[in-house]
Amino acid sequence: MTKTSTKLLLSLVVPLLLFGMYACAHTTSMATVHPTEVPAFPVCSDCHTDSRAALNHTSDFSTTHKFYAVQNKQACTICHKESFCSDCHAHKEEIKPSDKYKDSVERALPHRGDYLNQHKIDGRVNPASCMKCHGRSNNERCRVCHK
Amino acid sequence: MKSINLCLSERSEPGAFRLLVLTSLLLGPLLFPALSAAVNLSGDSRTYLQSRETAIDQNILGVYEYLDFAVQNVGNETISFHTGGWLRYDLRDEQFGRKSNNDLQYSYLSFRAATDNTVVNLGRVMVFEGVASERVDGVYARTDMAAGFGISAFAGNPVETNSDLSGNDLIYGGRIGHQGGDLYRIGVSALKVEKDSDDYREEQGVDLWLHPMNKVDITGRSSYNGVTKGWMEHAYALSLGPFDKVRLNTEASWINYDDYFFRATISAFALQPGLLTPHEGVRILGQDISYAATDKLYFTADYKNFNYDIAGNANYYGGKVNYAYSSVSGSGFSYHRMEGESDRLQYDEYRLYGYTKIDRTNLAVDLIDISYANAINGVDNSYSLSVAALYDLNEAWKMGADAEYSRNPDFDRDVRAFVKVLYRFGSKGGV
Repeated sequence: MTKTSTKLLLSLVVPLLLFGMYACAHTTSMATVHPTEVPAFPVCSDCHTDSRAALNHTSDFSTTHKFYAVQNKQACTICHKESFCSDCHAHKEEIKPSDKYKDSVERALPHRGDYLNQHKIDGRVNPASCMKCHGRSNNERCRVCHK
Repeated sequence: MKSINLCLSERSEPGAFRLLVLTSLLLGPLLFPALSAAVNLSGDSRTYLQSRETAIDQNILGVYEYLDFAVQNVGNETISFHTGGWLRYDLRDEQFGRKSNNDLQYSYLSFRAATDNTVVNLGRVMVFEGVASERVDGVYARTDMAAGFGISAFAGNPVETNSDLSGNDLIYGGRIGHQGGDLYRIGVSALKVEKDSDDYREEQGVDLWLHPMNKVDITGRSSYNGVTKGWMEHAYALSLGPFDKVRLNTEASWINYDDYFFRATISAFALQPGLLTPHEGVRILGQDISYAATDKLYFTADYKNFNYDIAGNANYYGGKVNYAYSSVSGSGFSYHRMEGESDRLQYDEYRLYGYTKIDRTNLAVDLIDISYANAINGVDNSYSLSVAALYDLNEAWKMGADAEYSRNPDFDRDVRAFVKVLYRFGSKGGV
């Protein structure tokens, strides 16, 4: 079979296969809003025993939420509005999250206190942690010095 | 492949897109009068006034308005519209070289089916799918498929800063995932960015959630740079517990700088001596253990090791204690020590905070102190103290103010103030 005919066959088979799998899915969509009021720092495993139990907002969730979000962001949107994400994951942002929510001292928010000096330290320790938010967006403030 | 020069100048905003969104916002209810009565509008307005001084002696007094709202049931309960953005105007010295600024953070029309978790979003969307954590002006779609499979795809114009390049600018990608009941969820994903028809970014990855037994969760992902032909990152976490009152978390990651910092749009991530050492790599291993002595009292101890290929080692370790007096009041104290091989990576960090609610007023105080083993700019101790208050006028309105005083290597005395007025309208649901 030539390379061209293989490509042609794949271009026909793959969409048909995907359409067939979609047609046979028959799952019920998640709720758009959590049916009960959820407290801050919810312990999902108090009620759920399935995969949702892993979404407990324990102290390490600020580190691990990225793994859950890239697999199943829909689960996040049951409780969180888009603005909750964009407060930190912004295109352009001039106010630190910890400045917007200075009254929420119990939350794990980035850049608390004097971050002008501290970023020089954190940037040496783990620059990859800066890159995620400031590598390709939200870096207008960085450019004041990093021309 | 043609060479692409990264131009560090401001990228022109997609004005046509913004105009389209604004027009649809203003004209939507007029064009669809029959729908206007049925739609459900909800959202938040946040108005901030920020006062601070910059490192170059500017006195900043900026007014910000953040507006987020959603229109549900646009003619059909499966269709909704979501938008959010902000604008700023400076009352005194201008910030970042301009008197005013604004940003459209997200704005999209969404179709969400009652079955198969089918979603189609059209507009400025935030995409979090496997290797993609991107903001895109375009389309995003996902759906469940048979036998536990799911598929997502996105395409459009990447919303980035500073990449002012000629020619077309296109991002596209997707993820195919499979969920095996409550045992695992695994996905393979890819994204590609083309600039002027050249391969600008190309990333592939695997993401994983594994739940082999009760109280054991493994999460993580690996991502590969298809342009530099190297692994960018492996990042995995293991969560164990709670076992009675104890919970353990382990994280491990490997990052290769040459592959990871590829195509950043700011010079801070340029691979050059003095900034990020070329060919550097780091392995990060972290462990924390938390113990709930009572329902109100928590102890956590944590340790993190940074092992660099070139720069040597650094260890960060410490602990914290939290006590919740009630659901609305509590306090905490933490201590951490950084021990690295360079002068800057040797310091002790302390934090003490408390919060409470008296009648309708939330009060909070936060003290952060860092003691450097080697003075920076002649300063061997940096601290900041903030006090904040937020008053609940009613369910819709809140007003707050806070002040922060700090002394650090960049400022002898830094005083900042912040005032905010928050208004929530429409239906409840979500934060």
